[in-house]
Amino acid sequence: MDRREFMQMTGAGLGAVALLGVRGCNSPHAVAPSDWVNVGVIGVGSRGQHMMSMLLRVPGVRITALSDIYEPRIAEGRKVTGEQTTAYSDYRKMLDAKDIDAVMVSTPLGLHAEHVAAALDSGRAVYGEKSMGRTLEDCNLIRDTAKRTGKIYQVGLQYTYAPWYQEAAQRIQEGKIGQVREIHSYWHRNNNWRRPVPNGSSPELERLLNWRLYRQWSGGLLAELGSHQITFANGIYGSIPESVMASGGVDFWKDGREIEDNVHAILRYPGGQTLQASYITTNRLDGAQERIFGTGGSVVLTHTEATYYKEPWYPNSAIPPEITIEHKLITGPTYSAEQPYHGKGDIPSKGSASDADLLALKEFISCIRTHRKPVADENLGWNQAVTVALCNQALAEGRKVTLKEFLEPAKS
Amino acid sequence: MAAQQTDPGNGGSALVEKTHQRTHHAMGTCFTLYVDCASEAQAQSCFQSVFEEIDRVEATFSRFRPASEISRINREAAEGPMVTDPEVFRLLATAMDVSRKTGGVFDMTVGRLTEAWGFQAGCPAIPDAETLTAARAEAGWELVELDPAWRTVEFLRPGVALDPGGIAKGYAVDCALDVLRTAGIPGLLDAGSSSIAASDEAFGNTWTVGIANPADTTKELCRVRVSGRALSTSGSKEQSFTRAGRVYSHLIDPTARGDENSEQEVLQATVLAPSSMLADALSTAMFLLGPERGGKALKGFPECAALWVCRGSEGISWLAEQWPK
Repeated sequence: MDRREFMQMTGAGLGAVALLGVRGCNSPHAVAPSDWVNVGVIGVGSRGQHMMSMLLRVPGVRITALSDIYEPRIAEGRKVTGEQTTAYSDYRKMLDAKDIDAVMVSTPLGLHAEHVAAALDSGRAVYGEKSMGRTLEDCNLIRDTAKRTGKIYQVGLQYTYAPWYQEAAQRIQEGKIGQVREIHSYWHRNNNWRRPVPNGSSPELERLLNWRLYRQWSGGLLAELGSHQITFANGIYGSIPESVMASGGVDFWKDGREIEDNVHAILRYPGGQTLQASYITTNRLDGAQERIFGTGGSVVLTHTEATYYKEPWYPNSAIPPEITIEHKLITGPTYSAEQPYHGKGDIPSKGSASDADLLALKEFISCIRTHRKPVADENLGWNQAVTVALCNQALAEGRKVTLKEFLEPAKS
Repeated sequence: MAAQQTDPGNGGSALVEKTHQRTHHAMGTCFTLYVDCASEAQAQSCFQSVFEEIDRVEATFSRFRPASEISRINREAAEGPMVTDPEVFRLLATAMDVSRKTGGVFDMTVGRLTEAWGFQAGCPAIPDAETLTAARAEAGWELVELDPAWRTVEFLRPGVALDPGGIAKGYAVDCALDVLRTAGIPGLLDAGSSSIAASDEAFGNTWTVGIANPADTTKELCRVRVSGRALSTSGSKEQSFTRAGRVYSHLIDPTARGDENSEQEVLQATVLAPSSMLADALSTAMFLLGPERGGKALKGFPECAALWVCRGSEGISWLAEQWPK
């Protein structure tokens, strides 16, 4: 019996993690040699390199192998690890190596299913970047492989681990802002989303480096930007949407790209609630935020904090009586009914003191050491990625698409 | 400093394409990028990737952002050794090396003193003795312990905090130029006129940087070709105040005890170095050390050169050490 098995059997694993949280939790000296985790990385592009840096901040983690088909990425990856990490141009050869406990997959979306399934089948725990998969078939393959192998799969929906998101979800579930009927999510940028490619590059290399712009590999703005917000809405509504309408196009950056440069979707959930999602590349005033509207108040979530607002009370308004009773009177910032509110909200959560990626990776490593299932597992990932795929079908067909016909097209 | 493009002349090969320019605000300054690109679209992609990289460096090294790695270190390193990633460790190790070789004049823990002098709050004043003593107790590069074997950083007493302001901007310039090198596109980056570097020797040869005369900013002391090197200038002109005829700068020497008298007032120090990170850190140190002590410290950096502009009883003078002819 090794240390890991012993800790699991005695239930000491969780206790040890909790103890380390008090002092020295960031020290590699506190990690037993048998608890060190060796990670191999498939896909060493910009996102992969960022996540490698984060992984190397987790005590007791080594990156022992890199795999990428674009050779310059290997040198960049080695700069991140600070050593001559073993490199493979074929990820399958990397998976044959013995010195790997876990695999991080940060390849283009259209390759997630192949890489994640192969890594799980090799017996490794896998951290796979979001979205889980590009198509329904991709998502099914990953979900089924994770269940069949019983190996840990954590999808890169890092805001699931952000304390200010968790606190907002808890407050909403406790009814602090009444019934949530509407969520608006924005991820507004003002750039062309292109990576520079060396002068004289082949069209194939250009497509490889700018994979996000091409249908073959990419789920577009909804997958790359909307995934976190869709995950949160699915969680608040307790379901995936029953139907989606979407609109968008290549209307501004007409540079040969295939995926839309603006996307607007309305997702309708079984309880009649909606998520209105907007992703544009020509203005950044609204940035990335989710506005959650309840009958008794609102929450605005950003990548750094949550801000809370109470609705002004009027006779016969939709504010649940218990909210009014609980607070006796409305003490928060209020606003006139038909005017946008411009004042300052209440910011009780100081969750911005944490990097969401680091928190997610710490949890992944902790799950490996204690044999726990991650919160952002294959089920959460499937729900999110299938929602994105449903939206993308509605976008491509320019009509309302129901979940039922998406999941069972033949019967519909 | 101000960058200016010169005619490459016969044989100049860098400017066969159009030079594009864009400015980005980050790290409390303006980064201006010049790139030679075949198309506006390619230039746009360069601007986007380079500025994203600068933003990434700021997000990692800013002590003002709670989620940055430096903020995490400042919160937790007094509790015991904490592991950080190789990139952050490399920057800290470089900073410590400069601290050691400059006798602690360059010091990333100087933030406590800058705070005590009121420069951070924007209302500088001479602090009282008690405040100064308390700040000095929490400052000192020797209070930071790095262990390369485990890649850990530890503060040897509570209250210590890292302020990478004197080195991170230069590092951001280096990282940004790496993005251009990877893409195979030549360019030059000017960070608020105080740090300038070029991605490519040929490209840098077509650009000269004028080093300003701090006594008369309409005039230049000399010109330098960037040519694959990095330049950084530190001076007291932008942030300083005067009391009883003495100039107090935001650049604070943590080893000084306030009773130093020098016949020369250093107005400005410029450093040429192989990397912008080193140039940035050394220019602060050379400004604080002055030409005499700085010249000795510079022996520890054989690939670097320094140029000081001083004011003395005989007016403005400038002195150089290891400066290329």
